[in-house]
Amino acid sequence: MASHYEASIRKPLVTGSKSYSDVSNDIARPVEGRANKQWWIVFGIALAAFLWGLGAIIYTISTGIGVWGLNKTVNWAWDITNFVWWVGIGHAGTLISAVLLLFRQKWRMAINRSAEAMTIFSVIQAGLFPIIHMGRPWLAFWVLPIPNQYGSLWVNFNSPLLWDVFAISTYLSVSLVFWWTGLLPDFAMIRDRAIKPFQKKLYSLISFGWTGRSKDWQRFEEVSLVLAGLATPLVLSVHTIVSFDFATSVIPGWHTTIFPPYFVAGAIFSGFAMVNTLLIIMRKVVGLEDYITVQHIELMNIVIMITGSIVGCAYITELFIAWYSGVEYEQYAFLNRATGPYAWAYWAMMSCNVFSPQFMWFKRLRTSIMFSFFISIVVNIGMWFERFVIIVTSLHRDYLPSSWTMFSPTFVDIGIFIGTIGFFFVLFLLYSRTFPVIAQAEVKSILKSSGDQYKALREEGKPLYTMPKRGKVTTYSIEENSTTNQTHS
Amino acid sequence: MASHKTYWKSETELFEKDQAVSHLKHNEFAETLPVNDFLEDEASLQSSETSRRDFLKFVGFSTAAVTLAACEGPVKKSIPYVIQPDEIVPGVANYYATTISDGFDFASILVKTREGRPIKIENNDRARLFGGANARVQASVLNLYDKFRLQGPLAAGVDVSWDTLDTAVKARLDALLSTGQKAVVLSASTTSPSYKALVTQLKEIYASVEHVSYDVVSSGAALEAFGQVYGESGLADYDFSKADVILSFDADFLGDWQGGSYAKSYVANRIPKHGHMSHHVQLESNMTLTGANADKRIPLNTAEIKRALAALYKALNGEAVSESDSSIAGHMNALADKLRTVGSKAVVVCGVEDVNAQLLTLAINEYLKSDAFDPAAPRNLRSSTASAMDQLIADMDSGAVGALFIDKVNPVYSLANGAAFAEAMQKVGFTVCSAFSMNETAELASFVVANSHYLESWADAQPKKSYYTLTQPVIRNLFDTRQFEECLLKWSGSSDTYHDFIKGHWTANVLGGNAWNKAVQDGVFEAAAPKSLDARIDETLLQSAHRSLAVAQSEGMELVLYTKTGMGDGQMANNPWLQEFPDPISRTSWDNYLTISKADAEAYGLKNVNVANGGLDGSYVKVTVNGTSISNVPVMIQPGQAKGTVGLALGYGRKVGLQSEMQTGVNAYKVYFNGSKVQEVTIEKQSGMHEFACVQLHKTLMGRGDIIKETTLEDFITKPASEWNEVPVVSLDHQEVPASTVDLWESFDRSVGHHFNLSIDLNACTGCGACVIACHAENNVPVVGKKEIRVSRDMHWLRIDRYYSSEESFAADDAKKESFDGLFGETGSLGGFGTLEDPSANPQVAFQPVMCQHCNHAPCETVCPVAATSHSRQGHNHMAYNRCIGTRYCANNCPYKVRRFNWFRYNQNDEFDFHMNNDLGRMVLNPDVNVRSRGVMEKCSFCIQRTQKAILDAKAEGRAVKDAEFQTACSAACDTEALVFGDVNDKDSEVAQLKESERMYHLLENVGTQPNVFYHVKIRNTEKA
Amino acid sequence: MASKIFRALYNDDDILMNAVKKVREEKHHIEEVYTPFPVHGLDKALGLDETRISMAAFIYGCLGLTVATVMMNYIMIEDWPQDIGGKPSFSFIQNMPAFVPVMFEMTVFFAAHLMVITFYLRSKMWPFKKAENPLPRTTNDLFLMEVAVKEGEEKALTELLLDTGAIEVQKPKA
Repeated sequence: MASHYEASIRKPLVTGSKSYSDVSNDIARPVEGRANKQWWIVFGIALAAFLWGLGAIIYTISTGIGVWGLNKTVNWAWDITNFVWWVGIGHAGTLISAVLLLFRQKWRMAINRSAEAMTIFSVIQAGLFPIIHMGRPWLAFWVLPIPNQYGSLWVNFNSPLLWDVFAISTYLSVSLVFWWTGLLPDFAMIRDRAIKPFQKKLYSLISFGWTGRSKDWQRFEEVSLVLAGLATPLVLSVHTIVSFDFATSVIPGWHTTIFPPYFVAGAIFSGFAMVNTLLIIMRKVVGLEDYITVQHIELMNIVIMITGSIVGCAYITELFIAWYSGVEYEQYAFLNRATGPYAWAYWAMMSCNVFSPQFMWFKRLRTSIMFSFFISIVVNIGMWFERFVIIVTSLHRDYLPSSWTMFSPTFVDIGIFIGTIGFFFVLFLLYSRTFPVIAQAEVKSILKSSGDQYKALREEGKPLYTMPKRGKVTTYSIEENSTTNQTHS
Repeated sequence: MASHKTYWKSETELFEKDQAVSHLKHNEFAETLPVNDFLEDEASLQSSETSRRDFLKFVGFSTAAVTLAACEGPVKKSIPYVIQPDEIVPGVANYYATTISDGFDFASILVKTREGRPIKIENNDRARLFGGANARVQASVLNLYDKFRLQGPLAAGVDVSWDTLDTAVKARLDALLSTGQKAVVLSASTTSPSYKALVTQLKEIYASVEHVSYDVVSSGAALEAFGQVYGESGLADYDFSKADVILSFDADFLGDWQGGSYAKSYVANRIPKHGHMSHHVQLESNMTLTGANADKRIPLNTAEIKRALAALYKALNGEAVSESDSSIAGHMNALADKLRTVGSKAVVVCGVEDVNAQLLTLAINEYLKSDAFDPAAPRNLRSSTASAMDQLIADMDSGAVGALFIDKVNPVYSLANGAAFAEAMQKVGFTVCSAFSMNETAELASFVVANSHYLESWADAQPKKSYYTLTQPVIRNLFDTRQFEECLLKWSGSSDTYHDFIKGHWTANVLGGNAWNKAVQDGVFEAAAPKSLDARIDETLLQSAHRSLAVAQSEGMELVLYTKTGMGDGQMANNPWLQEFPDPISRTSWDNYLTISKADAEAYGLKNVNVANGGLDGSYVKVTVNGTSISNVPVMIQPGQAKGTVGLALGYGRKVGLQSEMQTGVNAYKVYFNGSKVQEVTIEKQSGMHEFACVQLHKTLMGRGDIIKETTLEDFITKPASEWNEVPVVSLDHQEVPASTVDLWESFDRSVGHHFNLSIDLNACTGCGACVIACHAENNVPVVGKKEIRVSRDMHWLRIDRYYSSEESFAADDAKKESFDGLFGETGSLGGFGTLEDPSANPQVAFQPVMCQHCNHAPCETVCPVAATSHSRQGHNHMAYNRCIGTRYCANNCPYKVRRFNWFRYNQNDEFDFHMNNDLGRMVLNPDVNVRSRGVMEKCSFCIQRTQKAILDAKAEGRAVKDAEFQTACSAACDTEALVFGDVNDKDSEVAQLKESERMYHLLENVGTQPNVFYHVKIRNTEKA
Repeated sequence: MASKIFRALYNDDDILMNAVKKVREEKHHIEEVYTPFPVHGLDKALGLDETRISMAAFIYGCLGLTVATVMMNYIMIEDWPQDIGGKPSFSFIQNMPAFVPVMFEMTVFFAAHLMVITFYLRSKMWPFKKAENPLPRTTNDLFLMEVAVKEGEEKALTELLLDTGAIEVQKPKA
């Protein structure tokens, strides 16, 4: 069938000769089955970390930001580092589902659901920090242009921080609806399989009564396409705007025009690494090796390698421009990064982000699951350090030497960071047990083009289907829309 | 009108005979109520305690109770005036001229009072001399509200009434008449004529009374020398404005040397006018404020300084100097020539505690006929010699003293042999100690007179011959206290107040017909200039003096004791403002420490290290001076410290009567033997590291010559401004134009109305820090304590940055940085910047006051998401505290790092138990400035409350504002007029003219922030000599 | 009563496509088709007309842009033009560069959300909406075609449907 044609050199994206119902079964299994021991253990750890972080946050808000390690010169450190780190991670999901959709990359279908979930959960973590890093978080709503009793008391649209408010909230909400819309058919599938009344209720509630009419599908595909078209510039804009926080400032090391592309590349870089981290675990735990294949991992490794190299170029460019600008403050800022008191952080960043991805040039390494996992962790560590280097080493020695200070975190700084990681995994683990972790409807639609058994058939020139034996005739009652199969004689 | 309407239930009522109708007529209720259902069982109903009435009572009561409980409002402790004093208008400040004379500090000041509360100290511009309040004087207002001050008289530690105390004292004095023992009044050396008269008056009744005066930090040698030469007690005075060459032998005259307050006259001739300014050479051991301001500073130990002085004397007498070490000789020959050429325009001052040295100094000045040298009207600020104290202790031991009255001083703490004094006190048996707060001496006294604060007292003073000042109370005694003079009056049986006494004494002896009220209003009174004294210098005496100096040698280490700008003699130790005040030189607060040269530190294996959070740590040493040793003295490596010397500040280490937070440092008085500031010392390293609270962790300027622009006098005269005051340029249409003229957008019209600017002259700023405390007091800046300062969270709105050169001069630093070439190797920038980080052994020093620059293109304003900080039409960079949500983005984006964040709640918080945490201390708060809450950013506001006041006053009087009316707390506090504030739109204002000066530059002009604060290039007169 | 509806169930999308074509050739009216996943080209085969939802999205986007522009002009320029870092608050055009990010975000925000809401409403989807697919398996692996049958053609249609490879044909109970 023409619509199902795919070049034979392309490796199958779905293995294990799955039929449509197999797909449904495989994907519904984790939802319908019960959680195993490992799941509970991991969940317990995550929950503990989350509660610990929650405590740290409550302590901060009740006592004051002074419980962090900040000072008069370094007014941001771990808080904004974590913020940018999480936002960056939150870039992979939408990128995979939007950009790859526009590029008609079928391999995205196996991973976009989880990637988007990851996006939403990590953007939630990111969203925490701008709020709790405020001296008076209970007034956080003042950043919204709300009419108030003071009449003309408004926000300041010149402030990059305000741009962030709009960027992050738009990004989070749009990703959410994108994700949810894609989920509707899959929720419906589970709904219609569900036996337990509670599950039935729950899934019919959240599937918004999806029926799968051809018109719905038509709209569905159109909406997905347009959303992808909107989300692509959006995802690029978000980290661009985050980078404006620094790029539009006057601090040497922050005041850098290269930041937007540099940040976006870094974001995709760390995002794909996190996707790798999560999926390599999940495909094992939930048993989806047939859908998330080594090929998927390899492809993501290639993206990591490329973006990592882009980031590397950015680092080098920064150094070059600093030298080339001839501005002594710029020059010193970067000299200080590489050789100053925080050089260790700089070189940690360099080795993790620029050197480690280069291993992916070797096919044996980028197809090795364990190695990919290891690198994905390393990359995320590196990207955290990138933000730390940009923020702290730029601030701690700026213009007037009289104000130069150092920064060291307190247990509260650390606790809150750990807490967000815990929160993230709590959400993701819950998701993996209650959501269809793969966009099964979409996978079914590529089954014939990319499923291994169909590819085999096509190789042999056989048709992709066999006419069933002549069917039977039954009746249904119009009253209730359910079938009552009494066969005619 | 009444109505007769009848209402029908139903038409059956028309039938009179109807059963139902009649039945209804007689029964209220249609059918019988089921009363028994709930009233059945009569018995129990009867037995029950609560009747229906009771129940209603309960309801009524509880309702009332609830209502009352809800009515309780917040309790406000306020008492209305019985008679409203007509000079106190709520919201309007009153200023009173008065004088602080606490035996160490002396200044003529104005006291600002609001609603009767003194809240701020200002300079008294009517005082020709001593008109400048230093940091300590500025802070002294807070002591008035010290919660640790004594609130009533004590006997053996328990409260008594004044009567019991008075009777006891009288009885004792009467008893002494028979026993013939002495009654000694021990006070700080007072300059007060009335006080002296009062003591004499007491003497007339009790012949046994004797007055001993005691300088905690003495200038004995200078006094003795002056006495020998001029036959009078006093200290030669100097007017540095008349000197073109100032040669100082270890005289810290910008500090506390001989009573201090020389800055004004010094600076008068430091600002180049018509290409002319004084040249200042300083020979000293410690790095002092004076040395830091000198054009040439020669670090020497005291022995070398003495030899140098001898050499100079010799050279001036025409004999070629054959000094053992050539360096000194070289300097002195050159200097001698210079002095001869300049002649009367030169002056030599000497701070060496040695009569011979002082003699030679007087001789040299006489020989030069120095204009700046004024022996005719000497200072009386110091008058005691160490011997007097030893004599007193001896008398007390021998039992010759039957009663001891100690006025304010605390010898048990401040004497090296304080212990001996303590024992002697026991021998006396009857000791009355007048103290402001409990102290070591008062603890041992049989009676303690709760002394009034000087702002609650009357007093007069004669700091200088024929120059008088008055102290008037600006508030009633807050507590049941009494100034010591009142006591003396009482004991001398007089019934009139000390005010009457002073007035009487002045009208009789001082005023000479002039009006008393005028004198009180001005706070100062100048009598006719005294006739000059003729010097009687005994040649042979000089010869011997010279001989002894020429051979001066020092064995081992020299300990040079000094007083800190922030602490002085230590009597204000319980003042959090002063404790948190960063020392101008070391920028360290909440401590004293042993300053030591880098070389010596390495020799002893002593370290200064910065820990992970930047905090500075220093090794501990044990300091031993002939037997007495102080252990755990933290070490501060001090650039410029003369090799072979160590410095240690007096006034710290007090325990009694001090809040635990304020019990900082070690007590150096323990080794202040016979009032000599130089002691032979041995030091040994001890284990452990001390945690300093240092607000500036980086010492050098890293060759960033555009932050503090400076040049030499020669270049300033000969070369065009473009060479020594380069403005950053940008290329606009391939034309190089000044960066400040290029703008991305059309700019606002700033020519209408007032536009405020602040001018800071780096030549006039001595770094004394009076402005820092003034700002503290004016703007309710919180005190955050040692722990927070250590982690760089000081809240000072105005700071004075201190930079050391890494090479021998800042110019050399810049040159070195320029010479960097490539990354690696000899001139590589990788290593190069590292070397620029450590200061030179004898560096140049530069001070730079930095506050909010109020940029017209403020980076902080654009980044605030809630527009909490924006620009005013008058050039202020506003900070709307109650709009701030505390993202701290503004502080990050401030190139000057002047924004301060409230990391915690600093008021009414037991974690920060300073003046803002108790009702008494909060009385000092300025009602015109709000106290910031936790989580908001704060910063310098250009004292907008003051400028607004000036504008409104003028408006009320329907006139234009006068230039002088616009003042900020810092500009008003600056005695040397380094800080000048005003309206640049008023073209003939002082600041507008200063802005036109070719020395004017903006800090970090290349960032394009267009600040409203500008600086003046620092000119160093280094070419001469 | 409405015309009778026959349901034909298929187990393969390709078979369904052929069936759809065949049935329409035979001039039968296909009421509705339920599929577990989007079958490409089905809407064409059914002769459904193009959805105009993307056009709606574009309009929503323009709306968002307008709202953003008007809001920021009012807040920053009209209502209270403060001097913020010397930025030209007296002229929208000069101050505009600082407003671009928010303009963009608002455009996307409006376009995306309003479009999705439109989609949900037009396709009658919202929480607590009862699903209307006749057979639950149509969300799983079966394809269901509803065909309206004219009077007296029941037999022929049944045969036709079975010929197209329906695994089951369901007639309404009489």
